[in-house]
Amino acid sequence: MTEQIKTDFEKIVKTSAFSEKDVELKKMYLNKFLETGFPTRKLENWKFSDLSQIIKKNIGELSFYNDYSFPYKVDTSIFIEGLEHNKIVFINGRVEKVDFTHEDHDKIEINDDFKFVDRLEDNNSLLSLNNAFTNKCFKITVKKNYSLKKPLVVYHSTNNKISSRNINLKLEFQLEQNSSLRLIDLFNDGAENNFINIFYNFDLKENAILKNYKIDKVQNKNIRYSYNNIEQDNNSVSETFVLSSGSNFSKNEINCNLKGEYSSAFVNGIFSLNDGQHHEVRTTINHLVENTKSYQLIKSVLGKNSKSAYQGKIFVDSKAQKTDGYQLSKAILLDETSEFNAKPELEIYADDVKCSHGSASGSLDENSIFYLMSRGLNYQQSKELLINGFLLDVVEKITDTEIKNLVKNMIGLKE
Amino acid sequence: MLKINNLSANVEDKSILKDFSLNINPGEVHAIMGPNGSGKSTLSNILSGKKGYEISGEVLFENNNLFELETEERAHKGIFLAFQYPLEIPGVNTNIFLKTSLNAIRKAKGEKELDAIEFLKLVKEKARELKFDEEKLNRQLNVGFSGGEKKKNEILQMSMLSPKLSILDETDSGLDIDALKVVSDGVNTLRSKDNSFLIITHYQRLLDYIKPDFVHVLMNGRIIKSGGPELALELEKKGYENFN
Repeated sequence: MTEQIKTDFEKIVKTSAFSEKDVELKKMYLNKFLETGFPTRKLENWKFSDLSQIIKKNIGELSFYNDYSFPYKVDTSIFIEGLEHNKIVFINGRVEKVDFTHEDHDKIEINDDFKFVDRLEDNNSLLSLNNAFTNKCFKITVKKNYSLKKPLVVYHSTNNKISSRNINLKLEFQLEQNSSLRLIDLFNDGAENNFINIFYNFDLKENAILKNYKIDKVQNKNIRYSYNNIEQDNNSVSETFVLSSGSNFSKNEINCNLKGEYSSAFVNGIFSLNDGQHHEVRTTINHLVENTKSYQLIKSVLGKNSKSAYQGKIFVDSKAQKTDGYQLSKAILLDETSEFNAKPELEIYADDVKCSHGSASGSLDENSIFYLMSRGLNYQQSKELLINGFLLDVVEKITDTEIKNLVKNMIGLKE
Repeated sequence: MLKINNLSANVEDKSILKDFSLNINPGEVHAIMGPNGSGKSTLSNILSGKKGYEISGEVLFENNNLFELETEERAHKGIFLAFQYPLEIPGVNTNIFLKTSLNAIRKAKGEKELDAIEFLKLVKEKARELKFDEEKLNRQLNVGFSGGEKKKNEILQMSMLSPKLSILDETDSGLDIDALKVVSDGVNTLRSKDNSFLIITHYQRLLDYIKPDFVHVLMNGRIIKSGGPELALELEKKGYENFN
């Protein structure tokens, strides 16, 4: 890999317009990445998902060079119908469209040559990889007292022009005081066997509200890593929902720093997996000051040969009295080859806190199936009804009604 | 309508029903009484198609071999089991469940499926008859329902589906007197010359409200005595232990 990545890096430097300073910085990140390479199971964070092996097994040799000099045509059929929205369209990692038609343009700022200041955990080699190779980093600022009228949908599309590639994306969001943003990430992959590495950083000022819905629904053979860092000031709220179902491998990491009083973070997720799929969600909620709250609910439905993992960490600083932290994970194993791993981690240094966690897994309840079948439903209908019922309360946690209904339709949930 | 010939059932080498035979004709109401562990629930489970029993013998329902039919096919043909312990199904709306169930059965019978409006009209009417809180129809199936509400819900389902053979497995247990009356009314409304009932109970009390044509005493997996309604009274007086 080392030779390949260095050659690809040189090629990028030659063909792009990065300043000398940028190149130096990128080189530094490249070397940092090369020190450790892709994460392996030896790292605690990666004990359930050995990314190095997964890439080796599914992709083999990765190529790190992407030619971003020519635009791709945007296929409008991928756009969500029936929901007015703003758009950012990525195709194979290249930004093809930025469209905020529904918004007051004085109230948002889009900066496309944002210089990334690395504030994120620096022992993550994937962040170094991302910093070394990201082509363009957008920063979107929502100004004081402004709420986006319509949701922003970020389309992550790939097409069959690429294969065995590494794609790196980075977006930075700043939500100023009293502002709010509804953000949907929609993954739509036509390409196979790529490794897609996504970093988002959110900065939530006082009273800001972020709702981020990540929808990975379309079956695809890609390997995806996505990292959300969320910084939260006083009274801000973040809500993250993950539908983890489409990719071959996917790991979502959500890191929340609750550093303002009365800030709160909600993380809810659904894994719905089958044949050989392997997904993980890892969360770290850092309660750093008094009176903060976090709530997490993760449910898995796991078919044959599929595997999900949930690592949920709640950290409570010694200053963070009156913390309220909660996490629960449940899994239905549909086959004896299905596997669910849960690792709750509570690290608490304050004494006046309310923290709890729970995890349960099991097969579909045969008595419930018998009950439904005795009312004339066939086995398949009964099974689907039970699974829908099991997943429904996670979807019900989505606080935006419009998007909740969208998600329900997408996954065929009926009320 | 239902012919049970020499039915034996085992669970893990434990014999539960032994050479059990019973014949139910259209329009008849049969009560089976017996102490705990006599095989009453096993009988109702087997008739509805629950798996996990080793079975020999023969059961015919309108001349169909019951053992060749899946659980849902038995429901389609008109067998209904009111559960002793109705299950809580989280996340499944009671109305949606009822509609899915009713339409699955109507479809199997070649009848037109009901649309949302027709369904709601019917379910509201039935709920009113049974004094079943309509608000509960929008709740998750049996979740947070009291014991009595769950049993009423079973009878509501029964009256929606209007089965040919209804098996009531200890429907009276956990019911107060008012609820018992409502449930019995529900059953009596459905009584006709075509519909039959198999009522499984510990107590004679229910039979004050639903007059059976036949009473059978089940002990150790066998019917030890059959007779008319007076048998239930005799049983109530003597108790199971002294009955032989």
